[in-house]
Amino acid sequence: MLTFFKIIFQIVILYIIFLLGQWIQQSLHLFIPGSVIGMIILFLLLLLNIVKPFWIDLGAKFIIRHLAFFFIPMTVGVIDYLDLFKGDGLLLVIIVIISTLLVMISSGLVSQWLVQRKEINND
Amino acid sequence: MTNLYIGLIAIIGTIIIYILSAKLHDRFAKPFTIPMLISTICIVIILLILNIPYATYMTGGRWVNEFLGPAVVSLAYPLYMQRHTIKKLFIPILSGIIAGAVIGVLSGVLLTKWTGFSDEIIATISTKSVTTPVSMAITKSIGGIRPLAAILVMIAGISGAVLNELIFKLFHIDHYIAKGIALGSASHAIGTATSMEKSLIQGSVSSIAMVISAITVSIITPGIIAVLL
Repeated sequence: MLTFFKIIFQIVILYIIFLLGQWIQQSLHLFIPGSVIGMIILFLLLLLNIVKPFWIDLGAKFIIRHLAFFFIPMTVGVIDYLDLFKGDGLLLVIIVIISTLLVMISSGLVSQWLVQRKEINND
Repeated sequence: MTNLYIGLIAIIGTIIIYILSAKLHDRFAKPFTIPMLISTICIVIILLILNIPYATYMTGGRWVNEFLGPAVVSLAYPLYMQRHTIKKLFIPILSGIIAGAVIGVLSGVLLTKWTGFSDEIIATISTKSVTTPVSMAITKSIGGIRPLAAILVMIAGISGAVLNELIFKLFHIDHYIAKGIALGSASHAIGTATSMEKSLIQGSVSSIAMVISAITVSIITPGIIAVLL
């Protein structure tokens, strides 16, 4: 039960950092989303030892373990665009998928090649 | 009061469907049985059958959505825990992300140009690999269609989550750093969620890829669009 309250409390801390990030984004008109600014802030706070890892670890692990769940309501939004999956739209969907796979292949192969080269050099 | 009930039913229903799809995935661990995809399809079918508008479902769904903000913030924790490994391999990580960002924008723009889509649609597809809020911002600045951008981002996310294992096998991508970069670059936060299910380090690399690729795409896209359109 104590763990449960700890998780809730820690998620509240994460939420406050998110709100801070959003506030910074809006007041400075940055193109980087507030959540990403929040992530950078939390990372810096951890590095500078201002926030201790055990203040947020349970909450962060809980959210990350169920990360896929939080996307579902957004992906259900596809329901308003089902027309996209026929005619010209279908071609667009196929292009998006092909381009996505090309990104995966290129970024994966380039980084793997460089990582392995570095690992070999270090041995 | 009715709104509160509808909202609660939407949230509880989403949780139950997610738990059931996770159980299904445990039993039949195939790429197309990932809980996010199965849950989305089930909920879409239920809403269509019961004739419930998306907006009504979202009276509850938006509460789940609200967690996406703190969810991204929480990615700082694994990033911090893995900082030494990431620092050591920063150049390979950065190079992979930039290669992916350039290929993503170029292939999206060229393929839609060759197949004769309008300039608005070509501009929109260029932002599909990056996380939704950034994609919205870039789409607006280069004259794309924002609701379409949101849906293309989603398709990039889900297709990456479904097809990554097949691609990794076909192209012999087996290093966890490379897999993390590939998923974060191609499928943003949904790819990062998929990576997190494999390991904390792969997920951390993915979250870096998501962030740096969003920044890279927002810098290179206006130029590429200006040259190619």
